[in-house]
Amino acid sequence: MALLDIDKLSAFYGKAQALQDVSLSIAEGDIVALIGTNGAGKSTLLDSIMGQVTVSGDIRLKGESLVGKPTSKIVAAGVGYAPERANLFAHMSVRNNLLVGAYTARDNIADNLSRVENLFPVLAERAGQETSTQSGGERQMVSIGRALMTNPSILLVDEPTIGLAPKVFNDIAEALRRLNAETGLTILITEQNVNFALTLARHIHVMETGRIRVSGTADELREDAALAEAYFGH
Amino acid sequence: MTQILIQGFLLSGLYALIAVGFTLIFSVGRVLNLAYGAYLVIGGYAYFWLSQTLGMPKIVGVLLAIVLGAVIGISKYRLIVKPLKGDHVAVEISTLILAVVVQAGIVLLFGDASKILHPIVSGVSRVGGATVTYNILTAAVVSWVILIGLYLFVRFTHLGRALEAVSMDVKGAAISGVDPDQMNQLTWAISGALGALAGVFFASYTQLYPGMWVTPLIIAVAVVIVGGIGSILGTLLVAHIIGFMEVISTSLIAAELRGVFTMLLIIVVLIIRPKGLFGRAEL
Repeated sequence: MALLDIDKLSAFYGKAQALQDVSLSIAEGDIVALIGTNGAGKSTLLDSIMGQVTVSGDIRLKGESLVGKPTSKIVAAGVGYAPERANLFAHMSVRNNLLVGAYTARDNIADNLSRVENLFPVLAERAGQETSTQSGGERQMVSIGRALMTNPSILLVDEPTIGLAPKVFNDIAEALRRLNAETGLTILITEQNVNFALTLARHIHVMETGRIRVSGTADELREDAALAEAYFGH
Repeated sequence: MTQILIQGFLLSGLYALIAVGFTLIFSVGRVLNLAYGAYLVIGGYAYFWLSQTLGMPKIVGVLLAIVLGAVIGISKYRLIVKPLKGDHVAVEISTLILAVVVQAGIVLLFGDASKILHPIVSGVSRVGGATVTYNILTAAVVSWVILIGLYLFVRFTHLGRALEAVSMDVKGAAISGVDPDQMNQLTWAISGALGALAGVFFASYTQLYPGMWVTPLIIAVAVVIVGGIGSILGTLLVAHIIGFMEVISTSLIAAELRGVFTMLLIIVVLIIRPKGLFGRAEL
């Protein structure tokens, strides 16, 4: 059984349909990337999983449907989310941002905090700094760290490289790779940066105008010349 | 001078207590609760009825008034604010109408004549030539204790941090596992409880009458606008600025000027520093 199953999912902003019949499964321990241009529906798919968008169809985590649940229950069920805009608490310290993430996982605070600070040592060094004064890369780390503090079974990361320098997004890629290798945490990322996605993910889904157009392993997609030309520009 | 200092501190403590519940609602729910003054009226009249009409012990009267304020706060959130789903203008109009309805209900139940509340704590002392009633001293001390407690609660507890998180970023709080709806409900309960308690002290400091919601509302709005939206420390500091300004103007210039400088200060701050002196959109 897959860890996360998405079945014929459609999503709506008012009368506008943003996703159409999206189906995909994510196995436990996998790293999966959704790639596509702006407006392809990647962020909407993650927001749908988090219960932030009106949807039809089904989303199941370990067989349990998440549709209709409030976001806080979805987090408690085991979905951690680092959104594209981070949505940090700008005038709280780094440490307090992380501690808010522990709201539903208070039994594991010390372990989770240690895991986050081991992954991103800069967050321990700047524990007292307000996130409003941090760089984009550090804010991305706080965002991922806060999601990890919820003790998730699956981590959703929306566009982790957007607006970041190559050195920083390589660090973040390395951290996500380490996280997956050391703890077996399942990771779903969205990306416009195809090379980043290909180097990190094992399975890739290409999205266009609210639908999944192509799916395959990173190797399959990389070796398919027609697909590479159509979607990756090389 | 001693009289001004002491009266300034005592009145400021009461003003901080009046304003803090209003500040909480504004920062967590982004709602300008124009019916906030109604909590004070309800708290004052509940205490009057329970303690002076029914003869219950004063502390029981105060506690039941606080509980009533919390229940009314939750009811207001669930029956008016939540169904209006963030339509701020509709919420503001509805809460203003509610305050007028509460005033009419009070007139119906208790009549429109002013009532004198017995002091919650009786007695008077003279400190450095200044007269200090134990009632206003208690109000000030209770206010400081509550504000410090509230500050520590927000800074050092999971629930307090969750409240602060909702005040800064609702989506960020939700994806951290915090239920913004629960936090809003809690905030309305705390605000109602604090408003009712402030009403008991305010009425015993001035008088109890059906229209007494207007003055506290102006004080609360002034503290929030001058202090900046949502800052607990800002609330405490600005309550002292306004409290001292009132005591100085009424003692040294003319008693008729009560409230005038407060309203002028609102206008000046709105023009030169719209975010308030300590303005940041969080607790």
